[in-house]
Amino acid sequence: MLAPISWLKDYVDINVSPEKLAEKLVAIGFEVEGIEYQAKKASLVKTCKLVSVEKHPAADRLRVAQTDIGGKVIQVVTNVPVEGGEYTAVALDGAVLADGHEIKRGELRGVLSEGMLCGPEEIGMSASDIDGQKEGDILRFPEGTELGQDAATALGFDDVILDVSVTANRPDCNSIYKLAKEVAVALDTTCREPEIKYTVTDADVNDIVSVRVENSKLCPRYMAAAVKNVKIFPSPEKMRMRLRAVGIRPINNIVDITNYVLTEIGQPMHAFDLRYLSGGKIVVRNAREGEHIVTLDGKDNVMTSSMLAICDAEKPVAVAGVMGGEHSGIQPDTSTIIFESAKFARDSIRRTSRALNLRSDSSARYEKGIDFASQEYGLKRALTLIAETGSGEIASGFVDVKVEHDEIRDVEFTTAEISRILGCAVPERRLISILLKLGIPVTKKEGKTLVAHVPDARSDIDGVNDIAEEFIRVYGYSHIKPTLFAHSVLTRGGVPADIAFRNKVKEELAALGLNECITYSFTSPSFADKLRIPADSPWRRWVELVNPLGEALSVMRTVLTHSMLEVLCFNASHFNKSAALFEIAKTYHPHSLPLAELPEEREKLVIGMYGGDADYFAAKGVLEGLFDALHVRGEFKASDLPFLHPGRGADVSVNGKVIGYVGEIHPDVAEEYDADVRLYAAELDLRTLFEECKGGATFREFSKYPPVERDLAVVVAESVTAGDMIRSVENAGARSLLSAEVFDVYRGAQVGEGLKSVAMRFSFSSTEHTLTEEEIAGEMKLILSALETAFDAKIRA
Amino acid sequence: MKAQIQSIKQAALAAVEAASTTQELGEVRVRFLGKSGEMTSLMKGLGALSKEERPEMGKVMNEARTEIESALEKKIAEVNAREKAERLAAEAVDVTLPGKKPARGTLHPITRVREDIVKVFLGMGFEVAEGPEIESDLYNFQLLNVPKDHPARDMQDTFYVNDSYVLRTHTSPMQARMMTTRKPPIRVVIPGRVYRSDDDASHSPIFHQIEGLAIDKHITLGDLEGCLTAFAQQMFSRDTQIRLRPSYFPFTEPSVEVDVTCAICGGKGCRVCKGTGWVEILGAGVVNPTVLDMCGIDSKVYGGFAFGLGLERIAMIKYGIPNIKLFYENDVRFLRQFNGEVEK
Repeated sequence: MLAPISWLKDYVDINVSPEKLAEKLVAIGFEVEGIEYQAKKASLVKTCKLVSVEKHPAADRLRVAQTDIGGKVIQVVTNVPVEGGEYTAVALDGAVLADGHEIKRGELRGVLSEGMLCGPEEIGMSASDIDGQKEGDILRFPEGTELGQDAATALGFDDVILDVSVTANRPDCNSIYKLAKEVAVALDTTCREPEIKYTVTDADVNDIVSVRVENSKLCPRYMAAAVKNVKIFPSPEKMRMRLRAVGIRPINNIVDITNYVLTEIGQPMHAFDLRYLSGGKIVVRNAREGEHIVTLDGKDNVMTSSMLAICDAEKPVAVAGVMGGEHSGIQPDTSTIIFESAKFARDSIRRTSRALNLRSDSSARYEKGIDFASQEYGLKRALTLIAETGSGEIASGFVDVKVEHDEIRDVEFTTAEISRILGCAVPERRLISILLKLGIPVTKKEGKTLVAHVPDARSDIDGVNDIAEEFIRVYGYSHIKPTLFAHSVLTRGGVPADIAFRNKVKEELAALGLNECITYSFTSPSFADKLRIPADSPWRRWVELVNPLGEALSVMRTVLTHSMLEVLCFNASHFNKSAALFEIAKTYHPHSLPLAELPEEREKLVIGMYGGDADYFAAKGVLEGLFDALHVRGEFKASDLPFLHPGRGADVSVNGKVIGYVGEIHPDVAEEYDADVRLYAAELDLRTLFEECKGGATFREFSKYPPVERDLAVVVAESVTAGDMIRSVENAGARSLLSAEVFDVYRGAQVGEGLKSVAMRFSFSSTEHTLTEEEIAGEMKLILSALETAFDAKIRA
Repeated sequence: MKAQIQSIKQAALAAVEAASTTQELGEVRVRFLGKSGEMTSLMKGLGALSKEERPEMGKVMNEARTEIESALEKKIAEVNAREKAERLAAEAVDVTLPGKKPARGTLHPITRVREDIVKVFLGMGFEVAEGPEIESDLYNFQLLNVPKDHPARDMQDTFYVNDSYVLRTHTSPMQARMMTTRKPPIRVVIPGRVYRSDDDASHSPIFHQIEGLAIDKHITLGDLEGCLTAFAQQMFSRDTQIRLRPSYFPFTEPSVEVDVTCAICGGKGCRVCKGTGWVEILGAGVVNPTVLDMCGIDSKVYGGFAFGLGLERIAMIKYGIPNIKLFYENDVRFLRQFNGEVEK
């Protein structure tokens, strides 16, 4: 809400600086987001008198003016056809104009110019703001104007405008007058009422127009007044300047009056030209399904039966509270106008405005909600302005169709209750005086009960907590002293196991050298094609947004890998030679589509790396390191996922459950992401991993005798995997086997076609004694026999 | 024979003197004192001497041998010391060359801030909970006192899935979820991702909040201030002060904005706090009785407070991060900077 201080001053005396006023408003709940000084839009533009004007010696279209700026005469070269003796405005050397342009003294075709003559735009005004100002002309001042003063100030363009943020619970304060009331509270002073003063003619409004309201739920009150013999002209300079200051373009006296009242009182108004109200009738009714109306902006709207329309005897003439019809506007020859001042249900206006995609200052105001008192007040204020500007003859009386309503709402409370909410002492007399200042009288009931009589305009106040807030925002939050649960019981608190597990996983991955990243939860639906996800895959069943920021951010992801690949490629193309990253985030899986219940949100872990030492085994090693820390054992089997390198990808399982994959991204897929490096990734279902984790460590005895190592190389078929061989060795029954690992794989002519030699190292140990040669030989025999049985392994010669 | 002994002794001492390495000294020992060394050979000749001469010659010979041995030991010690010194000198490294650092990962600054904040509230008896990110209109709005077509819906730009489901615009729906499923006393903090249809220089369509909720029989706005003061002092500095300003949220009444003294200038006024000395960090208030009643908690008996804060904002203040976009680009040059800090 833009509030010119001069306008506020109509109702409240303000004797503090704009900055101080802003501070005071913030303290009672009105954030001031900006302070604009009109006169500071341009600097160093001064009133001046052109003492003498001569032709430029070298240019026919230029003139050289000796310019008096009050006690000093400077020389200005101009292309404006000025004459000696004229009063105007000049930007001096060093001036900064409203458009940011800086003025410097310099020579124009060989003649020194120490400034530039200015028009209204140069100081941030518009020609139409100033009476008698011609478009495209420089500023003009009457003879005798004091020279050397600030040109904007001389024109009265020196308001200071506060940009006040009004919270949604205070719709009433979207008006200068109601805001002035709050200013009065903030400054601890009083507020004056806007003037209501006009005379009426013998004509009766009821003879001119009739009003029928068919839906009083959507239109609880409809008031109308009539003005005859209307004269249309530009409204007074002050009104135009004020409207422009709050961002409204002045049009003519009638339209400007409706906008002025909207801004000042907060009541949207509409002026109908009686000629276009067929039958002199106004009918407020639901639109008929499919009924058309062309609005002022030229748009053809199709209305539905849930929308409210203002109609004449035949047709809709306005979308109620949103916008008038094309013929409802004021014409130069308009002679009788009907002012509409109505209250419409805010949710209905909101729905209609959104459905038709029509916005106006009125609909914006109605959506926030207006109170019952404003219609009459607004109407009277508009008629006052009609009288003040001599815009027409006011018919007597109002049309007023309204439902019954309570003007005052009573809220009972005690100071003890307020004190209990706030945690500070509440002096009763101060409480009562603060509420009174806010326009809420308080009376005493039996015992300690107080009753606040809340006016209709304060629809936000309906309970003790609201009274507490009204009190404390004026009394001051600094009266509240910090306590730590002074009156309540201890609670245990704590972190649920699944969240603690996630935190541990994050810390372990960081310890393994990975950097955590966080990416958007929504992405482009094209990810599924990029990753070559099959058409029938559940990964293609996603939740879609109806109003995304663009297609690229329109579906909730079902997999994290895509986002990780994007991050890897972003890094690769931003001077980072290597990266190893992880993210833990949710994927979203609808149970049914369209969504009719909350979807499943599954927590996943994705890791990704490229460059440096990154390869399949580095990625796998991260998972193994993580599994070690979690006391689980991962199993890896060749994977056929479509986005993985066909020979470098594994499905990862824990306790026989597949929980994800690890591998090199298929080069064709990497190309889709414009990667010029090899990408490695893994994605695991964190929820399942959590469920499969059995907890922590249990001590296992280790031997004080030296372990014995033995190597064994066997020849097996190419298709036999190291993982299967190790598992077979571990299950061979060698009880003193401490560890088994593959340390070399050799292929070559001596081994034979389709075969490979796998070299393994075993470590044996006993906690009871030093193992003997015979014992070890026995163990090796068991191992070899297991390998022979399972893989037809032969000892390498 | 005496002369012979003397001569061998002289020769041996000279050889010891001349030797300069452990190896040469070993050779000297063998040559003179070894099994077939010169001195040993001479000793074997003792038997040929007369009974009277033998003791004296033996004594002389032993003395010579001892002398050689002691010279040898001394020299060996010298050479060892020198050789060790030379070896160590040769092993010297340029201590300014880089060390062998194990790869060290980092947690995202949002995670760090989140855990820092959670820790503060765990200490005050709060539990941690999380909730769905795709949320029903009922929980995201209606139970928080924001009916359909209410102007307060304009406070947040919402991503819709359909008429009944949205991407949660705040972590507040978990307030309603906690209140509808738990009995007081409730003290909980709820961190998580939230979504708003807003994407410009200072907004990200995805960001993170932490919600706080405390419900009990007698909780005051003073308790809220105490809790948030403890939080602010832990997050920023021991001297940090907070200030409450009136504001509006549909689900709290009274509602406040909470400012902290500017961490950059300590409250004197600077560019970060726009000269005010205060930086806004969160919204809070007394839980609206309407919300309590809608969620099945008797507002005549129970009350409480709630607050919600943006993690990005806290991280930006704490680490001096200039732009919210940096959190989601995930450039490793950004991510690698946040490897924890020492609490003071």
